[in-house]
Amino acid sequence: MVMTRREFSVGGTVSFFGLMTGISPADFKGSASQKDEFDLMKEVKKYRKIDAYATSNFSLDQLRDQIDFADRLSIEKMFVGMPMTPIAATPEEIRRINDTVIKGVKAFPDRLVGEFTINPTYKKEAIDEINRCVDNGLVGTRLYNQVKISDPWYEPIIEKLSALKMIVFMHGECQLGVGGYQMKYGVGKSPSTSTPEDFVAAANKFPDANFQFAHIGGGGDWECMCKTFEDTPNIYVDTGGSNNEENMIDFALKYLGEDRLFFGTDNSYYQSIGKVLASNLSEQQKRKLFFENYNGLLKKGGFGVN
Amino acid sequence: MLIDINAYVGNWPFKQMAYTTCEALLKKMNQFGVDKAAVANMSGILYKNCQTANESLFDELNSNKTFTERLMPFAIINPTYPGWKSDFNKCVKAGIKGLRIYPQYHDYKLTDATCIELVKMARDEDLVVGLTVRMVDSRQKSWMDLDQVAGTAKSEQGLVDLLSVIKEVPDTKYFILNLANGYQLKNEDFELLMKSKVLLDTSGRSLTNMAQAIAFYGADKFAFGTHAPVLDYLTGMLRIESLRDGEASESTKELLRWRNAQKMLNL
Repeated sequence: MVMTRREFSVGGTVSFFGLMTGISPADFKGSASQKDEFDLMKEVKKYRKIDAYATSNFSLDQLRDQIDFADRLSIEKMFVGMPMTPIAATPEEIRRINDTVIKGVKAFPDRLVGEFTINPTYKKEAIDEINRCVDNGLVGTRLYNQVKISDPWYEPIIEKLSALKMIVFMHGECQLGVGGYQMKYGVGKSPSTSTPEDFVAAANKFPDANFQFAHIGGGGDWECMCKTFEDTPNIYVDTGGSNNEENMIDFALKYLGEDRLFFGTDNSYYQSIGKVLASNLSEQQKRKLFFENYNGLLKKGGFGVN
Repeated sequence: MLIDINAYVGNWPFKQMAYTTCEALLKKMNQFGVDKAAVANMSGILYKNCQTANESLFDELNSNKTFTERLMPFAIINPTYPGWKSDFNKCVKAGIKGLRIYPQYHDYKLTDATCIELVKMARDEDLVVGLTVRMVDSRQKSWMDLDQVAGTAKSEQGLVDLLSVIKEVPDTKYFILNLANGYQLKNEDFELLMKSKVLLDTSGRSLTNMAQAIAFYGADKFAFGTHAPVLDYLTGMLRIESLRDGEASESTKELLRWRNAQKMLNL
């Protein structure tokens, strides 16, 4: 027989509980009544969710695992792209990567939305590839480290994405060293990796474009990220990643406001939901983070979820 | 019913914690339905003389009856610092349920004779020894913190690196906390863990699929833990509560929520 927390808090069951467990009823009597009733899975199911940062190799096994977690944690849609592409990726390689996405999302068309990648140093081919991917149903980008996002190579790409009203979503790093700031502790990041300062430069250059900085929980210094983005309203962040430090979400709210936070996982499902539910955000703020903010931007391009 | 085997109060020198006191921790426990927590004062990890942090914790606990009912003190002992045996005995008299040791921060090895002696003393007092894989994610650590970074040649330690002391003192009870850098052991290491009195807490990053972790080690090897306030309060709980019926029955979840911890802590 299993005792719920509600049953446990009822005085009449405490003696039985003690007999079952060996714990003296006196150890818990009184203190139990101070607890709130809390049903974590009810909280999980309360919020509609769009995962604004899912990554897959698009094997059927991995996709099934991802859908399994989405079902388990009430994630309706996943915007999914391929992992890091080679810096010197040729247009042919880029097409192969995007073809994998185009084909892969068809396994779960109601749950997955594919994202495309490009190499901006092949200017014409990159624009052609965007057109081809959009024609094949992909929505938005998964950009990596070929050049920094503030590099002039990206200007026609950002103009094109802005015209399509698609989010410019790029993987970034807080700093190229550890914990920010001190390059003498560098850990081998490519110097062409975009940092928060590079995002700010690009966002200022294109105020009508909307940028998504990937996963403030991705291991970088989230305090540094949020502070850098504070005064740049067209930069959004997703809160995904394996790092689930306490206060990350509240800090992001303080610096970025409730409208610039997206839900993302980067496949770290428990942490990405746990840290939001554990935060001090109001129910409405959580609704915005989990679903409404990202969906609002998607709707501007006609890609929203009903 | 929930027992958290991995909570802290106190301060971390490189980042402000969202809450630092027993009162604030208890507020979180009440908010999220947690009954009891094993708690250490993390300030002691970076103090030379960590006993002062233990004493602060005992003073704070003794200031409020509810604290002593709900929070179970774990002492931080540095077995290389003068007077540690006396500190240990004072902590035992103060009613600790266990120790947490931090060889990397206190500059010794788990197999050093003085550490082995401490762990045997814990065994003789029927105390649990807490071994923490990492306090913080090294990717965003302060440059003043441990000089190791995940994904580099000098990487963070993992579960396998903690086994040496279990091999030396296999009859002590252990909590292994904040699992990172993998959790699956092979061959003799797996056998050692399986036959030892070890609980792994559910707070750590390596537990990417809790159902698989239970299938690998069995449900009697895990217990709810938060690593709060370093990590958020709910992720460790979500790993348990999101298990489907076919993955963990309600009685199995009860093992994870509190029964395994209750048994180990003699509650």
